[in-house]
Amino acid sequence: MSGPTLYGLAAALLVGLGLYGVLAQASPLRRVLAFNLMGAGVFLMFGVAARRGAAAGLPGDPVPQALVITGIVVAFAATALAVMLMRRLAQTRAEEAAAAASSAPAEHG
Amino acid sequence: MTLSGLLLLATLATPLAMVGLCLLPAFRCRVFGLLAVAPLPGLATALVAPGGTLLLAPAPFRLVLALDAPGALLLGGAALLWSAAGLYARAYMREETGRAGFAIWWLLTMAGSLGVFVVADMTSFYLMFSLVSLSAYGLVMHESSARAERAGFFYIALALLGEACLLFGFVLLATAGPVGNQLIADAVSTLDASPWRAATLTLLILGFGLKMGLAPLHVWMPLAHPVAPMPASAVLSGIVVKAGVIGLIRFLPFGTPLADWGGALMALGLATAFYGVAIGITQQHPKTVLAYSTVSQMGLVAAIAGAGLAIGDTGVTGLLAYYALHHMLVKGALFLGVGVIAVTGSARRLPVLAVMTVMALSLAGLPFTSGALAKYAAKAPFGDGLAATLATLSAAGSALLMLHFLRLVASTSKAAPEESAPTGMALPFAATALASLVAGWALLGPATGYTLANVLAPAALWAASWPILLGGALAVLLFGFGRRLPRVPEGDVVVLAERAAPLVRALGAGMERLDAVLRRWPIAGLSLVALVLALAGALSLAP
Amino acid sequence: MAASSPAGYLLVLALVVPVIGLLGMSVTALIGLRRVEFVAFPVLVAGLAVAGAIATTVAETGEALTYVVGGWAPPLGLALRADGVSAVMLAMAALVVALVALNARALFCADDATPDGRRAFAFWSLLMGLWSALNLVLVGEDLFNLFVALELLTFAAVPLVCLDGRAATLEAALRYLVFALIGSALYLLGTALLYGRYGTLDIGTLRELTQPDLATHAAVALMIGGLMAKAALFPLHIWLPPAHAGAPAPASAVLSALVVKAPFFLIVRLWFDVLPGPPSLPAAQVLAGLGAAAILICSVVALRQERLKLMIAYSTVAQIGYLFLMFRLTAEPGVPAWQTIGWTGGMLQLVSHAFAKAAMFLAAGMIAEALGHDRIAELAGAGRAAPVSVFAFGLAGLSLMGLPPSGGFVAKLLLLNAATLAGAWWIAAVISVGGLLAAAYVTRVLKRAMATPPAPLATRPVALSRELTALTLALVAVALGLVPLQPFELLAIGRP
Repeated sequence: MSGPTLYGLAAALLVGLGLYGVLAQASPLRRVLAFNLMGAGVFLMFGVAARRGAAAGLPGDPVPQALVITGIVVAFAATALAVMLMRRLAQTRAEEAAAAASSAPAEHG
Repeated sequence: MTLSGLLLLATLATPLAMVGLCLLPAFRCRVFGLLAVAPLPGLATALVAPGGTLLLAPAPFRLVLALDAPGALLLGGAALLWSAAGLYARAYMREETGRAGFAIWWLLTMAGSLGVFVVADMTSFYLMFSLVSLSAYGLVMHESSARAERAGFFYIALALLGEACLLFGFVLLATAGPVGNQLIADAVSTLDASPWRAATLTLLILGFGLKMGLAPLHVWMPLAHPVAPMPASAVLSGIVVKAGVIGLIRFLPFGTPLADWGGALMALGLATAFYGVAIGITQQHPKTVLAYSTVSQMGLVAAIAGAGLAIGDTGVTGLLAYYALHHMLVKGALFLGVGVIAVTGSARRLPVLAVMTVMALSLAGLPFTSGALAKYAAKAPFGDGLAATLATLSAAGSALLMLHFLRLVASTSKAAPEESAPTGMALPFAATALASLVAGWALLGPATGYTLANVLAPAALWAASWPILLGGALAVLLFGFGRRLPRVPEGDVVVLAERAAPLVRALGAGMERLDAVLRRWPIAGLSLVALVLALAGALSLAP
Repeated sequence: MAASSPAGYLLVLALVVPVIGLLGMSVTALIGLRRVEFVAFPVLVAGLAVAGAIATTVAETGEALTYVVGGWAPPLGLALRADGVSAVMLAMAALVVALVALNARALFCADDATPDGRRAFAFWSLLMGLWSALNLVLVGEDLFNLFVALELLTFAAVPLVCLDGRAATLEAALRYLVFALIGSALYLLGTALLYGRYGTLDIGTLRELTQPDLATHAAVALMIGGLMAKAALFPLHIWLPPAHAGAPAPASAVLSALVVKAPFFLIVRLWFDVLPGPPSLPAAQVLAGLGAAAILICSVVALRQERLKLMIAYSTVAQIGYLFLMFRLTAEPGVPAWQTIGWTGGMLQLVSHAFAKAAMFLAAGMIAEALGHDRIAELAGAGRAAPVSVFAFGLAGLSLMGLPPSGGFVAKLLLLNAATLAGAWWIAAVISVGGLLAAAYVTRVLKRAMATPPAPLATRPVALSRELTALTLALVAVALGLVPLQPFELLAIGRP
């Protein structure tokens, strides 16, 4: 089995695992992690594309590497945004629960 | 711009400008009093400008106003009735709140209803037709009661259904011809060669028939007419339904004989004519009876159109307009009269009742009235087979229904014996009644080509009289045994439709549940994966 | 193809002007301004002017505008390109953003130092970022570049959903983000496959290269699937109703009017520019079928909503369905898609929906402000409290229902016309029924709003100037009904 094929299969496996995780997991954090797994698979796929670009006579195609780096940055930003939203959500839920708990006795009393 | 062009423009622009001016509070307070003025340019146009055309916007829009003979007849009658009803409304709705809102709906409906008679291109026609259909909703809903709510619901639902049918019909018509906004006449002339002729005709007849109240899509009429204020009922029943008639006049291809289509329309029309009578005689409210009478009369008009279509006679458009003009003024007078009688004491009622009787029997073709002339003129296209007999018998049905109406209306007044109707109501009523007679006689020759000698021949008089006598005999039976008739609720088959409401609601709830299921995370994700696979598969199939 | 047009720099300006605004906002304190909105408005005017200049240039020259970044021609460099459709959408986006901003000014005008100032800063800076990203989606030519643009758009849109910071809206934003990310991953996977197969991601170059083979089809299917998730095409609308209903009204207006149109626009580009050969009819049927399901099911669900904003959000899902009918209706053998009336009808539907929906969300927001709630059952009195808003809602509704005179009407007419020509009767039936359902959900609201309340209401006044912005948007949607009923030249400019 040639290198690119092996890498391609590994990429497909990663994407598949990630997709499964994103769909099957209930917790947002796990979903975001699964998304990163998927992203890793996609970036690996770009790596495979770079190897195949070598057919043009170059030792390797540099363009996909640039794309992967940009992609990683984007995925990192997305992850950061998601984690921030999760934190805020947890905080707000706690605050709202506390407010409800403190106002509930007042309403009854 | 020529004078006739200017008048055509003014016909449309006057009511619309008055709506625009209602943005000014000072004008809004007074607009109600000015309703009678708004249709006057239309009246002038009908008298002065037949044959005039005006290009409102050049190609590719090509908005064209034009007034042909049938349009002029209907425009004149409509303007007259709008004016009379506007005057009547001033006295009838003297103390009501919300008159300004009513006036705006009134003016919009007026603009649309006059507009359908004077536009010559497809887009403008659809625009005007929608305007009159949708604005009339405001008139139906004016009295905000549960009854009005129900009437309004069925009115708007059926009106929108009709719009959808018409729109698709127009699209089919336009697609068969060249690109762009076509003149109605040009579009209709391409219908013969259209690959979608059957679908186009079905949709057009459905759309216009709905507006005219052909059974079984008539249900909005007996619900809507009784709940609207009296002057609004008069214009709804007299004028708004005529948007359907002008539609048939303009859009049916009378140039080529279409025996099947004509026969079908004739059958539908005649069935409606008798159905309206059959249900109408079970009704106990004078306005509901009048509404069923309109259903029946419009059935006859559709039958005339069907007869003309079957033999391919373009002359039938004039007959249709003439008949519709007669019905417009007479039905308008009758509705206005119901309001007059309601406030007239028993001591002063006789002259009003006399006029009402003449008007009511005019619908059945009483000799010397416009009804007799219209029915005489309308006989020719039917030939002399079964359809002609049925058309004549429908006059007997009308006589029966109208006698039932007169009996009801005579017993409704709650006014003190010496009370009389205000001039503001009595005068428009009398003027409309008189106009029906004058217009009938004056326009017989120009519109239909018949002479007075034709209609005054003894045979013609007898032909007009015997259905009324037959109707009278039936009425005697009805008054005797009427109690045994089943009580049919207003809007008859609508009750069946309402029975399906829980089913519809369950369907809606089912869709909501389906939506909730589809929006669950794993299911949405799986649909995404499934869609990608389906799309890849579909793309790989040969195109 | 390789050279920039003389006016190509306008495309760069369209991207950069909002970014300048964004940067300016982060230094307001330094330059002595106390409110970010003071930066926003000059930028809006400049952006509007740029969009107008692009639209007039494209219309006058009859050719697409091109800009080759840094003089490096594709396939190595990046190109920006605005054809007729892009130019129209750029102008539409600028107009909607500007009018929404005018409306939002009163809501997000707090001083920087106050707690509300953070929200104001977030709103205005996100709006600028969103606008720039949107413009990039509209003029980008490189599929990876477009991926970045779409991500930026999502990152700007997600926080707009949860500006009010309640748990419910945060949850909606999170759900939106994660679902959109799945879509992005699929899109990027497709991009990798395309690059592996053809060695370029420039759309103009790909158009010449693509072959009808499995790799291409799989790649495009992955990309379109990912984009459909972002466009909230039924049944992938999982995130849209809570997100659009939860956001502040001006944000909802931008999200519903513009943001969901961006992925749709990319699907159009993939479909017509990247897919080889004549479009596949079975795939077009799949997309049109989903569109039809969206129209029928989501209109009914909209009719059953109790909250005004949720109803409008479901109406958006239904209206997106109309856009996807286009793929079936442009499939005329032997005729390029952009010369069919289906193309014109679909694009006009897109533009008129953008204006109508923005007007509707703004109007709903002001009705909710005036009454203090947006429960449809208790809307009585809204007609008195915010008459102009209710009027704007009605006018916008006219366009959604497809009644004349309105852009929605002409669009519906053209789509019906195209359905007839294509022999797709089921699509014609769906369009007609969809119009009736839209009429039902719009009149349901209007009827309640026009009713007199049982008891006098305590209402809060809404500034007329803000109501007029909603009215202006609605009037634009109506004015679009004045375009003639034929294929427009403008929308075919710059197509190959």
